[in-house]
Amino acid sequence: MTTKQWRTLNRVLWTVSLLIAAVPFVFPFLWMLSSGFKSASEIFGQPSLIPTVWHWENFVEVFQYQPFARQYFNSVYIALSVTGLTLIIASLAGYALARLRFAGAGLLMLFLVSALMVPEEVTIVPNFFLIRWMGLTDTHLPLILLPVFGPHGVMATFLMRQYFVALPKELEEAGRMDGLTTLGVWWKIALPMSRPALAAVAIITFLFSWNLFLEPLVFLSSLELFTLPLALSNFTDPYGAPLWHLQLAATSLAVLPILAVYIIAQRQIVESFAMSGVKG
Amino acid sequence: MSRANTTSKPARGFRVPGLSLRRREAIEAWLMTSPTIIGFAIFFLGPLIAVMVYSMAEWNLLSRKMTFVGLANYTDALTVNADFWQVMGNSVIFAAGLVPLNMALALALALCLSRPFFGVVFFRTIFFAPVVTSAVAWAIVWKFLLQGEAGAVNQMLASVGIDGPNWLREPDWAMAAVIVTRVIKMVGLNMILYIAALQTIPRDYEEAARLEGATHWQVFKMVIWPLLAPTTLIIMVITTIGSFKVFDHIYLMTGGGPENGTLVLAFYIYQQAFEFFEVGYASALAIIMFVIVLALTLVQFALRRKQVR
Amino acid sequence: MKTTLMSCAAACALALGAMGSATAEDLRFTVWTGNDAHLAMLNGIAESFTETHPDVTVSFETIPAGDYTQKLTFQIAGGNTPDLGWMFEDAAPAFIDAGVIENVGPALKAMDGYDFADFSAPAMKLWVDGDAVYGIPFSTSPFMIYYNKTMFDAAGLEDPLALAAKGEWDMDAFRAAAKTLAENGSWGFDFKDGEGYDSRILHALMPPIRAYGGYAWKDGDCGFDNPEAIEAVTVLHDMVFKDKSIVPPGESGDFFSGGSAMTINQISRASRLTDAGFEWGIAPLPTGPAGESPVIGQAGIVVFAEGDQKELATEFLAHMTNAQNVEIMAQFFPPARKSVLESGVLVEANERIPADQMENVADAIENGSVLPSSKNMPQILAALKPRSDALWRPDADVTKALGAICAAIQPQL
Repeated sequence: MTTKQWRTLNRVLWTVSLLIAAVPFVFPFLWMLSSGFKSASEIFGQPSLIPTVWHWENFVEVFQYQPFARQYFNSVYIALSVTGLTLIIASLAGYALARLRFAGAGLLMLFLVSALMVPEEVTIVPNFFLIRWMGLTDTHLPLILLPVFGPHGVMATFLMRQYFVALPKELEEAGRMDGLTTLGVWWKIALPMSRPALAAVAIITFLFSWNLFLEPLVFLSSLELFTLPLALSNFTDPYGAPLWHLQLAATSLAVLPILAVYIIAQRQIVESFAMSGVKG
Repeated sequence: MSRANTTSKPARGFRVPGLSLRRREAIEAWLMTSPTIIGFAIFFLGPLIAVMVYSMAEWNLLSRKMTFVGLANYTDALTVNADFWQVMGNSVIFAAGLVPLNMALALALALCLSRPFFGVVFFRTIFFAPVVTSAVAWAIVWKFLLQGEAGAVNQMLASVGIDGPNWLREPDWAMAAVIVTRVIKMVGLNMILYIAALQTIPRDYEEAARLEGATHWQVFKMVIWPLLAPTTLIIMVITTIGSFKVFDHIYLMTGGGPENGTLVLAFYIYQQAFEFFEVGYASALAIIMFVIVLALTLVQFALRRKQVR
Repeated sequence: MKTTLMSCAAACALALGAMGSATAEDLRFTVWTGNDAHLAMLNGIAESFTETHPDVTVSFETIPAGDYTQKLTFQIAGGNTPDLGWMFEDAAPAFIDAGVIENVGPALKAMDGYDFADFSAPAMKLWVDGDAVYGIPFSTSPFMIYYNKTMFDAAGLEDPLALAAKGEWDMDAFRAAAKTLAENGSWGFDFKDGEGYDSRILHALMPPIRAYGGYAWKDGDCGFDNPEAIEAVTVLHDMVFKDKSIVPPGESGDFFSGGSAMTINQISRASRLTDAGFEWGIAPLPTGPAGESPVIGQAGIVVFAEGDQKELATEFLAHMTNAQNVEIMAQFFPPARKSVLESGVLVEANERIPADQMENVADAIENGSVLPSSKNMPQILAALKPRSDALWRPDADVTKALGAICAAIQPQL
């Protein structure tokens, strides 16, 4: 066999093995998509990927059952707000932690990291009382403030810090010599160079906000204000049993945007994670 | 800054005379981190202190009765409550099983998918698909596939002569099943982190090693693995912390069973807080979990320091 | 003259308007349905309330069913108690014990034309305590046997409905039928909603235990280790592991997709059979040595003790559960009022289930008994589950396992 033949064979074997390995990863996802087209009784039969009858009307019913379009919009604009705010605040703090030396930096970082270690099932109780006291229940504000300033925001800050640490200092020093303040350097030099990292943080943050369930459950009351995870769990019959064909159809609708964003930004993510200096 | 360079513009902003550079930097630093710190104080530190206070009371959210009991919740959990140590054990086993498996698989996938080849984008997306699949759908499908008799997994095993166990109904196998299905679901995230890290390793290093006659394995061991060490550390810390917080996956797959075999601490805390409404006891459990995870994290960082030396 | 009239009219209008806004009130009512059709019906009832109570609006707030009790608890704890709400049967005792539910007994019984005695006594068991009445059930739905007529015909067996009409539908017939059907390819019987091992444990055990004359717990005494319960559970256990006719733990055999020949469920699930590929029917539960013993699942409406408009809320509760409105709700929710049951509305209201089968449903509501309840229900279920896992093993000793169950839940009773 020539080298070229060997290489082709190698590639084919490689591809086939990856495809086989991929089956447990992608089969549930495809099942979820196809179940949206099935009737309620067919879903729990054999887990086939092709429905016997294509019930397109499930998707119509999803929008009729509750103000689903409104809820979809809620999730989108909240996720975008959370992402935007997180990027600004995390990159500000991340830059400071990376570049500026000040007393208490180490301790501060330790404090911040510890935020990741407490389960939200418990912190939700005092947060609930706090939000209540602020008069913000049944609004979207807590759904924006808590992710931005809570444990997730901390993780975002750390990611940005790692990236800034890895940036070559020359450009920033040049900016300083030109008379820029630290803030100016941050805005004009560091940020533009960190676009990949920003993309990475944006993706994780968007995903995190998109999937939030406990906070909307606890803080929201009006159906029109619901976000998608809450709306999905609401596709039930009067006895509380899930209407699977509707819930899975709605879930498929909810998943596609994120996957689309991931595919498009995939390039950025990979580069950005690389640049995020996760080298520590 | 050289004073001799008269063409440089004076620094704008903080022109307060007499303030040293160091001082100025410190003020700027605190200003830039202030949103994070203030927000953190309000929305995390405050609640954390509240949780510590709750942990010293018996407080039922429904009946609103609150009585201070000092450290009774802690002593109850650690010495009196028989379930607690089983739950702790389950959590440790779950983490010990999940973290290495997740990281090894993530690294393996990343090694396969880090170099561009035709279809790499397709495969990267496929292995990321579980991350965006809803936890509910994921559990439904796997419960179906893991059926004792009719499940696809056991049917495949039977075709090679292995008699598969009733996965979700045997305490030990259920734990294994829950770990593996969780790993498959979340490995895409770590895979991406590793892919990125791999891409920053200059090809020259690998080429040089290969020119010297190193095998693939040697290249990996001598060149790639050491350069990945910092990434590995961060991923290990985040994955470990995360593995202690897993709740919904286990809730959906086994409900904590069979015979409480998969009842982990996060689930137990949920039960106490959201089913029994015993916020005080749940808070104490959360603080215990916090201490344990903090200890584990510090250990991981200390080990890394040792390695570097 | 005209101007005087006009100014008079204007003044009157202003006065009326002022009066109106001064007495406008809003009741907040939590429910777990977000479904348009249900809300339309509920809003209709709220509208009709304005005939006697003008300027009162009722807003229905949807909380997803899976987290309903939790969310409600948060609301109460946060001082944002609703005025009225639906309540799941398993959460009601804990709420009553915590004192957050208003005793509406005196007010309802004193009300003209309400006819409290019209409610079926067994249906009210969960909601009354002596003279106190803590809620009114709006949905009283018995457990029935769903059967796949096509499979029964194919196996040459008489279907449960026919057997029940002849009085021959008992546990032995049930076991025999399940066995034959299982030998024909599919499972014979699936527990409620395909659960019974991880969740809905009581839903699986109670019907047979009751048929054999047993009980779950009574006055602090655990009934699982009594001879009747042991006998009943042994039959079930043998059906699962010896006959292999009931879907065992870890397998699935969904009735609605044709995976098993029978299942037990409430009539609301008939909605899953709209395009079933087989003929089906509904029959009463099999009788046992202790005779007929229908099992009822419920949900009720309560008034919250910390709401600030309790009187008005109680009046709305009375309005919603009067005979007229119970009839309206019967299109979705089986009623607990005897007059409505006997009027035939329930029997005709259901589009999917024929009248003769609905008769059995009506009978079951009048004569059935509610599921076991306790203020410590979550704790009991948490203690029960691992012992139930030990019971449902092929080599388990049923008597011992049931004894272990009792030992585990006794402290909570």
